[in-house]
Amino acid sequence: MIEYQKQLLVQSYLDGELPQAQAHEVAEWLARDNEAMGLLNELRQTRAAVTGFEEALPLPESREFYWSKIQRQIEREEAPGASAPRVPWHARLRRFLVPVTGVALAALLFLVGNRENSSGPPDTTTETALEDSGAFTYHDSSAGVTLVWLSYPADEVADNDDSLD
Amino acid sequence: MAAFEELVARHRDKIYARAYSMMRNEEEAVDLSQEAWVKAWQRLRQFQGDSSFGTWMTRIVINLCLDQLRKHKRQRTESIEAMSEESGGVERQMPVVTTNPTAGLERSELRQRIDRALGLLSHEHRTVLVLHEFEELEYKEIAKVMGCSIGTVMSRLFYARRKMAALLSDVKKENWK
Repeated sequence: MIEYQKQLLVQSYLDGELPQAQAHEVAEWLARDNEAMGLLNELRQTRAAVTGFEEALPLPESREFYWSKIQRQIEREEAPGASAPRVPWHARLRRFLVPVTGVALAALLFLVGNRENSSGPPDTTTETALEDSGAFTYHDSSAGVTLVWLSYPADEVADNDDSLD
Repeated sequence: MAAFEELVARHRDKIYARAYSMMRNEEEAVDLSQEAWVKAWQRLRQFQGDSSFGTWMTRIVINLCLDQLRKHKRQRTESIEAMSEESGGVERQMPVVTTNPTAGLERSELRQRIDRALGLLSHEHRTVLVLHEFEELEYKEIAKVMGCSIGTVMSRLFYARRKMAALLSDVKKENWK
């Protein structure tokens, strides 16, 4: 019985997944080992049988009926006032809270900055007001200036991408 | 819209077949393939032409099927297949099928047998098989799509092929218990 790792090696060889040098070694081993060659043939035949199978699988609905359902769905989704995809309540709450929290923090920083400005040494800082919020503050004590950047929406809804990546 | 309808007519069988191969359920496959076409319409502008339209479409339907299978998985208990795989499946000890299991079969009979055999695989094994044999993805691409390691892809593919070989050659089911 061929050990499992070698069985997988035979499969990788069949699928062209081995580097050239290793593929050459496996080819030499296969030429010497009948059992391994038998396994290779079985895997090859199975692959050939399965690969050709899908071609003969017609849609069980007529062209018109199949298309009509697609068309209706497209028209429904494109109709004016078609409801937008439902966003979960926690996501909506987060969308609301993130900018509000950012503004509150910015205001707080501004007040603290003004207080420090009267006594502390000149200083400038840039920081994220709230992690993942997209809000940044820039504070220059010497100039008594605080700038706040807010990017909104802070979080994009992840798109269900059509690529396989 | 008429041009899009023509595209649907041209590719619908292939898109449906891919969905059916993964879902093993006619109704679900029809629904998912139609959903894929609606998505394609909405994203038509995103189609860059890097791949063929057919390839782009099959990837949309595969993603929808994978999402659906994940939902199924959350709803069901762990399958016997998966347990078998983790405990060191019988595929490692199965005797090699020396004769071509499909030789001499009529096309319709062959199709029936393959259909039946595919239906006996778990979702995980069937998905790996479909992505490799039909979609012609490499191991690393399958691993990425399925969110598992390359080693898992290799062992699932090996298990799936060996089981298919055994089923196609009428090896007794007892061997797989």
